[in-house]
Amino acid sequence: MSVIEVENLTKVFKIPQKDPGLGGAIKGLFAPRFQSKTAVDRINFRLDRGEIVGYIGVNGAGKSTTIKMLTGVLMPTGGSIRVLGRDPHRQRIDNAREIGVVFGQRTQLWWDLALIESLNLIARMYDVPPARYKQMLDEFSQTLDLGSLLKVPVRNMSLGQKMRSELAAALIHEPKVVYLDEPTIGLDLIVKERIRDFIKAECGSKGMTVMLTTHDLGDIEQLCRRVIIIDEGRVIYDGPIETIKKKFGKFREITFETTGLVPSLSLPPGCELLSTGDRKVTLRFDRIQTTASQVASAVMKQIEVRDFSLSEPDLANIVKQIYNGALDNGGVEPEAADARPAP
Amino acid sequence: MRALRRDLSIYLSIFGMTPKVFMAYQLWFWIGLVLNTIGMAILVFFWRAVYADTDSVAALSLQQTLTYILLAQIFFPLTDVDLIFDFGFNLREGNIIHFLLRPINFQGMYYVQNLSSLMMRLILQIPIAVVATLLFGLQWPTDPATWGAFAVSALLGFTALFFFHWFLACLTFYTTEVWGLGVLIFGMSLFLSGSLVPLTMMPGWLQTVVLSIPFAQAIAVPVSLLTGITPLIQAPLVWLTQLAWVTGMWLVSALFFRVAVRKVTVQGG
Ligand SMILES: Nc1ncnc2c1ncn2[C@@H]1O[C@H](COP(=O)(O)OP(=O)(O)OP(=O)(O)O)[C@@H](O)[C@H]1O
Ligand SMILES: [Mg+2]
Repeated sequence: MSVIEVENLTKVFKIPQKDPGLGGAIKGLFAPRFQSKTAVDRINFRLDRGEIVGYIGVNGAGKSTTIKMLTGVLMPTGGSIRVLGRDPHRQRIDNAREIGVVFGQRTQLWWDLALIESLNLIARMYDVPPARYKQMLDEFSQTLDLGSLLKVPVRNMSLGQKMRSELAAALIHEPKVVYLDEPTIGLDLIVKERIRDFIKAECGSKGMTVMLTTHDLGDIEQLCRRVIIIDEGRVIYDGPIETIKKKFGKFREITFETTGLVPSLSLPPGCELLSTGDRKVTLRFDRIQTTASQVASAVMKQIEVRDFSLSEPDLANIVKQIYNGALDNGGVEPEAADARPAP
Repeated sequence: MRALRRDLSIYLSIFGMTPKVFMAYQLWFWIGLVLNTIGMAILVFFWRAVYADTDSVAALSLQQTLTYILLAQIFFPLTDVDLIFDFGFNLREGNIIHFLLRPINFQGMYYVQNLSSLMMRLILQIPIAVVATLLFGLQWPTDPATWGAFAVSALLGFTALFFFHWFLACLTFYTTEVWGLGVLIFGMSLFLSGSLVPLTMMPGWLQTVVLSIPFAQAIAVPVSLLTGITPLIQAPLVWLTQLAWVTGMWLVSALFFRVAVRKVTVQGG
């Protein structure tokens, strides 16, 4: 049996439409008009015990909405969810006992209390035996470097300190299922690295089932073997990260700023034009066929370059290319990815 | 049994936590003290003026009325359940999510938190009580039985009011516009709780209205017992009535919450 089973999950938000001004407000009071927004659209997936799955998509794709439904706080409009055999909304409190959640943009800790007091209370709520709690606290003090933070109220913490505390709070009761919604948002590289290591060690070693959303593909690459990509509420890819990496990891993007208008360029093989703007041109090249320096020197021969920068293709781009059929030949059919061997 | 013990211990922790949160905002304490003293002075002068040409109003002497009004001010925290703003704020900010994610009865947790914060607020009223005694000549009741009757009635009244506010707060799941509702309820509770005017002075029809909504249960009813305006012999009847309020309000609020929670849309991120 899978730990998380999601079938045809759908969420439609009804957003009240207001006309401007007092008249509009009064009209809205008597004849409210709603606009529907389908944030999650008939998605299906299953997660097994011990899987760490990256759940990615561009802003507004429906990631957080999915997570909120999985945790039980948001009622789905349609479809069904089973987490450890339970309906998380109907059995919210029983479900809550088994899960740990981090919403990177909020805090679950009591704002005015010292971290240790929040943790004490959480440990009590989740019935962590005192001896085990002490052990976990010692462990986290090491792995998350919490030692000096325990006495600090959350409102006085930096973002990185807060996020480490959040992770401790979410995992202190060693839940079976963990949802991490952007746990590395806004963090510098060192803290990010620390948090990734922590998640890998803590969740990996204990066989927790983890669903991770992030905009940082680095997180995914280091932590997940499987990714689910969603866009406009629909799953557009579900399968191994390897496929994504092979398909898109061999490309780099290079952007040139020029002094004059960009003429049409002749490009070396393996390199294609992505976009041209006002005094700006972005190319993509295949690292196997050519190199950044070859591309750069070819371009510099043709136009005067003021500056240039290199970047990995970002998620928005990958999504666009999936739509354009990048995965069609030999790729993984979005829904068929469930054809992994049944446990 | 084990589960109950666990729940109690959680509630106890929550109970112990609130004072710490309170202490984070000491400045407000002092500002509140000054404002309360001014408010009390205004009330005292007002009632002295009312009694300028008469010995009794609605069978109450000036001293009785002042005792009632001053005690009502001191015990004002009994009506001070600000669930609506609290809910509204938490919904708006999306913090509600963390309450709903806890493996514990949300209402129970809130009740304990409010009870703890009530205790805290009552303790913080001690300076006001001193001011009332020294400056305005408050005469404290001395009969322990009266105090006992008052304590029971106050707890019941507060609990009924808590559930009533819970019911109202659930409305914010539907509107997310909280401010108007909050202000309205605050105003109503200020006048209808009986903290400014003893109930017996109100015209008959208004008394009926006030006693058929819960606001008066937490102030007017217990403080009337404490001051002897309601004779002690009626205490059991008062308690029973209040118990009915508690039960009714609890049922209604718990039911409404179950329905309303389906409407939760956690705002933001
Ligand atoms: N409470 C709400 N009321 C109305 N619409 C909402 C609500 N919450 C989310 N939405 C809409 O649902 C869609 C999906 O939002 P969601 O927060 O799930 O996106 P996301 O994938 O988490 O994006 P991000 O990466 O920016 O966090 C968005 O279009 C958003 O506007
Ligand atoms: Mg999100």
